[in-house]
Formats: sequence, structure tokens, C-alpha cells
Amino acid sequence: MTASRRAAVTTAPLLAAVLALSACGSGTDTDGGSRADGKVAGEITFQTWNLRAKFKDYFNGLVGEFQRQHPDVKVRWLDQPAENYAQKLSADAGAGTLPDVVNVSPDLSYPLAKAGLLMNLDKEKVTAELKGEYTPEAWQGNALPGLGGSYAFPWYLNTGPLFYNKALFRQAGLDPEKPPKSYDELFAAAETMARHSGGKTATLAGTPSIEDFGRYGVKLMNDDATRFTYNEPKGVELLTKYKQLYDHGALDAQALTNTPEKSGQKFLEQKVAMNPGGAHDLETFKKNAPSLYKNLGITDAPNNTGKPNMYVMGLAVNNRSDHKAAAIAFARFVTDRKNQEAFAHQVAVFPSTKGSLRDPYWTEHDGTDEGRVRVASAKLLKGAVNYTPVVMSDEMKVVLKNEVAKALQGKKSPRQALDDAAERSDKLLKQG
Amino acid sequence: MDRHSRRPASRARTHRAVSPWLFLLPGLGIVAAFNLYPFLTTVHKAFTDARTLTPGTWVGLRNFQDMLEDEQFWVALRNSGLYVLLVVPFTVLLPLLLALLVHKQLPGVTFFRSAFYTPVVASVVVVALIWGWMLDDRGLLNGILRFLGAGPVAFLGDEWLLLLSAMALTVWRGLGYYMIIYLAALANVPRELHEAAAVDGAGALRRFVSVTVPAVRSTMVLVGALSSVSAFKVFAEVHLLAGPTGGPAGQDTTLVMLVQRTGTGLNGRVGYASALSLVVFTIALLLMLLVLRADRKEDR
Repeated sequence: MTASRRAAVTTAPLLAAVLALSACGSGTDTDGGSRADGKVAGEITFQTWNLRAKFKDYFNGLVGEFQRQHPDVKVRWLDQPAENYAQKLSADAGAGTLPDVVNVSPDLSYPLAKAGLLMNLDKEKVTAELKGEYTPEAWQGNALPGLGGSYAFPWYLNTGPLFYNKALFRQAGLDPEKPPKSYDELFAAAETMARHSGGKTATLAGTPSIEDFGRYGVKLMNDDATRFTYNEPKGVELLTKYKQLYDHGALDAQALTNTPEKSGQKFLEQKVAMNPGGAHDLETFKKNAPSLYKNLGITDAPNNTGKPNMYVMGLAVNNRSDHKAAAIAFARFVTDRKNQEAFAHQVAVFPSTKGSLRDPYWTEHDGTDEGRVRVASAKLLKGAVNYTPVVMSDEMKVVLKNEVAKALQGKKSPRQALDDAAERSDKLLKQG
Repeated sequence: MDRHSRRPASRARTHRAVSPWLFLLPGLGIVAAFNLYPFLTTVHKAFTDARTLTPGTWVGLRNFQDMLEDEQFWVALRNSGLYVLLVVPFTVLLPLLLALLVHKQLPGVTFFRSAFYTPVVASVVVVALIWGWMLDDRGLLNGILRFLGAGPVAFLGDEWLLLLSAMALTVWRGLGYYMIIYLAALANVPRELHEAAAVDGAGALRRFVSVTVPAVRSTMVLVGALSSVSAFKVFAEVHLLAGPTGGPAGQDTTLVMLVQRTGTGLNGRVGYASALSLVVFTIALLLMLLVLRADRKEDR
């Protein structure tokens, strides 16, 4: 046998084995898991998303109380940092170690549910009958198009006010007590600000996102979520207006590359006049930018639809959990009215349980800024919708952002840019 | 020779043939598990439509065909190519000049050696953040430019300036690392050659060209090969300065950024990203071979 033949004979089986192994490296089947209506017992894992640092005591208390009520269940609480949460989930899903109860937003639950890894709550009798305990908007917020049901217990909700810098408004000759409410007013204020400052003070730090298109009244997708439609005339109109703002210096010079964090930083440094945020930002402003805090204005993010944007968090149950009944019981416990309300008293989020928001805590001012934001935001939640289509992957968001940037730079017309973005995203959507 | 004397001899032969492999086995196991297996998996995935959560099916060359029609691929290939063309000459020459400045034992020279090496040990994230602040439209550099009466320069807003800024950052970060390699090479240049050249009337520049450069030529080739491969695979500097979308309209995306963007997350197109990785691997390998071949030609 020649040396090369000998080498071939020894390496061929090795290669074949490796290639065969590689073929089963990832992927999941849709079967498996225990019964949803079985005995509430066993050890389960519960994963939250960047909550340990600030709410350790709350969750330890929650886990302790549940274990006291269910002595046969042991809950292991895990927490993952905010960064790369999707990557962590995909690694766990690929390795078959997805936690039994996992904190997800609808865009994260969509690929997991599609791969058969999450339980369809509408399909199981034991979970479907809990539907009435949550607000219809919140339950609907976790429903996934094309997958026939809701895939996570609604947990906390959030919506964001728009902060503005009254000093910069005053300097530009704008009335700081009358912030823009509609998109037209916003664009007019931004033009005035740019003109008065000679293009030095921008009103907004970022380019329009898919949520902006939604709030502007653009139809984002067709009814069965199989095709993007944001290139309709209203979408082109919004982008054309943003192009005018960019040309006149009403958008930050680095708007094309700014991330939300960078935009927040620019607002903190008083380089831009308006920025979206949440009640938790107030503490940052108070501590890091007292002069901004002194001049801080709070208003609602403009929308042309009468429906503000809402961020939805949920707790999903692993479809392949060995202790599905215990996982369901725990997810339900964390998201019940009492525990959701207790959590929402600790941080500026809102419960998704029916009737919770009628509590005076969310309807009456307590005289503090936090209270003002809380009451204003709670009011916005009525009729709020999650504008980001759950089927829109991060790659599709990048496609839209890049095409928007081409339009703002004048490399493409707004129509062409949106047509190209929609076409490319449709192609990605078809690829699955 | 009888049968009894032949048996120990054959056992010894077997022992000689097998025992080296037994020593190599742990190393081979590690290489197979952590290098060979992931590489072969990537090769296999490149011909499938695998996603993060689904293994995918065999699609032949479709990923490579898609690549040819992908506008972002060509942008990324252009940027990675430009990175090699513009960064490598500087990473070959500047550290050599720096090494010449600090290779003599002079008082205080250790301080400068350490100072030049500092960017190498600093985290790329921290370095990129600092550069980001300096290059911001209201950052230090634009502050100086304004003071001098020049308008603000969109270092981070213009696609080309952003790419050049990232290249400058890469060169700056690599200076100290390659300087150390050159310092080792310079220590081996015979002092007599310099003295002889000086006696013959050669000035500093002449001595550099005729004595130093030939003496460190193989080190220059090594630095060229190493820096061209790492420049082609650049990720962190551009990603941190240009943001996750790859600069304005994605025009600063590099190939590795494209691999990361398409292949990660719950919806990651693992098959396509693997095909891109294979292209990066092949081009990087060719670059390396090209530089080494040029060196061999020079030797002949």
C-alpha cells in the first residue's frame, strides 16, 4: 500500500465520522418533554434577562415562596446579561439546555417556537384556561403569526416617554411647555431648532426605526406576516421627511451610525434635544447630568395612529422540559397579579394582568417625576401595540437601517431604498 | 536466526512505531476536537441551508451563488482587501522605525519601550471607545480643528474616513507588538557590519537601507504575513467604531463582520455564514502563501 493510499484509508473513516457528527451538531425535534397536566414536581431552571443585579432579593423571595408552596419543586434561578442574550439562547437551544422557564420577548420566542422548542399555551388546556387572567393586548402580544397561538405568559410591559431638553427648546425660540405631539409638529420643531442653531443642535439622534414607521401609520407587513409592506407611500413619505431633516442638520451628524446607547449619551451631553427613554433614565440624568435634569421635559412619543408602542416581556415554557407541569406552575406564579404588581412597584414597568392598571399607584400622581412618568406611561398602555413585527430578524432590521441610510445620504431615492429593503427582507423571510 | 530471537526484534519495531503516536495522542485529540472538527463542520455547513436552530439540508453551491449576488459581500470583500493594502505597508515599516529608535540602550529607553507597547496590552474595546470619543464630531480632534479654524471633520460619519480611522487604530495598536519582534531581530544584526559601513562613509539612511533592511528582511516578511492575515480578518476595530450595522449604510462592513452578522442570533444563517468563512479562510491562506512565496523568490 502506498503512503498516500494508507493516509486515505485512515483519514476517510475519520472524515466520514466527523461529517456525520457535524450533521447532528444542531437542530431540534419538536417532540419530547413531559405532560403539561402532570404532577407539579422536580427541579426546574428559570432564566431571567439581566435582572439579578438589581432585583436579587425580589427573585430569591419569589423562588423561596414558590418552593414553600410546592415542596416537591426546586427552582434554580439563572440570569443572563443584557448583551448577547439571543446568542446565549441560541447556544442553549442548540445544545438542548434551554431553561425550563425562560424570559423572552416575542421576537426571541418566534424562532424558538418555530423550532418547536416552546410550548403553545393556547394549545394546552391547562394553560389556555389562564388566558383570561391577563390583558388581551398582552396575551395577543405573545401570539406568533403562522404558529397558531401564544407562546409565553405575559409578564411585564413597558412603553417609553420622549424626553426633551427645555433649555435647548428655549434657545431655539420654541415653547418648552408645548413639546411636539404629532410627527408634523416634531418635524417642524426639528427644522426650527436646526435653523436657529445654524445646524449645530440636532433634535433627534437616530434614523427612523421600524417602530417609527409603525407609529407614523405605515402598514409594516401584510396580514399573514409573509411580506413586508413598509415601502408603501406612507413609508416613503416618512423617509422623505427624515431626508429633509438630515439635510438641514436636524438629525445628528452621526445619526447613520448611532446606536440607541450612543443616542442616549448624546442627549445626556445635551448635544441633541430629544430622545426616547424610560423612567429608569431619570436616575441617570439626576446623577450624571444635573443641569439637564433641571431642564428636563417629558412628553409622549408622537404617533399618528393613536396607539403608542409597547414592549412586551414574557415567560415561555420549554416544550422539552422534563418537568413541564412544574415549569407551567412557576411561570404562572411569577406572572400572577400579585407578583407582577409587586415587581412593577420595584421598577418602572407595568403589570400585564387584567385590572392591575386600575390601581391608584398607576393612575394617581404622587408628586415625584418618577410618578409623573409612571402615570403618563400607564395611561399610554391602553391600546398600545408592539409595532416591531415578531418575524423581523436582526438581519432584516440591519437591512432596513442600511437602506434608510442610503436614502438619507442621497444615494437612493426614499422609494428605491424602501423597495430594496422590503425585497431583501422578503427574500430572507422566505429562506426561513 | 531462530524464531525466539526474531520475536523481541519485531516487538521492538512495533514499539518504535506505536509509542510516538501514544505520546502524540493527547495533542492530536485536542487538535481534532478544537481545530479539525469545527473546521470540517464549517466546510460541511457551507453546503447546507443550516440555521441556528435547524441543521439544514444539502444545497450544493447555492450559498456561494447567493454570495455573488449579495451586494454586502462585495462591499465587505472590498473593505477587507483595502485593509490589507493600506494597513500592511505601515505595520511593516513603522514598527521597524520605532524599534530603531528604542533598540539602543540609552537612559530612559525602557520607559518608551513600555509606552509604545501599552496599546497592545490594552483591551481593544477600551482603545476603540477612546478613539471613538476622540474622533466624534464634538471630540478632541474636532475640537482642535475648530480651534484652528477648520470645520468639523466627519471621522465617524463618512464611510471612507471611518474606514481610514479604523485602519489608523489597527496600525497604532500593532506598533508595539511588531516593534518587539523587530527588536529581537535587530539584536541579531552584527554591529561590525554597521561599523564597516560607517568606516566606508555610509550615512544613517544608507546604513539603514544597505545593512539593517537586508538583515531583518525575513522578519519583515514574517510581519507582513502576520499583519496581512490579521488585517484581512479585521473585526473589532471596525465593529466598535462603525457600529453593528457596519458604518453608514453598512459601507464599512468587513468580511468577518458579515460572517458575524449573518451567522449569529436565533435566526442566524449558519450555512451562508460558513460559506463566507470558507472564503475568508481561502483568501487568508492565499495571502500567507503569496507573501511567503515572494520571500522565497527573493532568496533565490
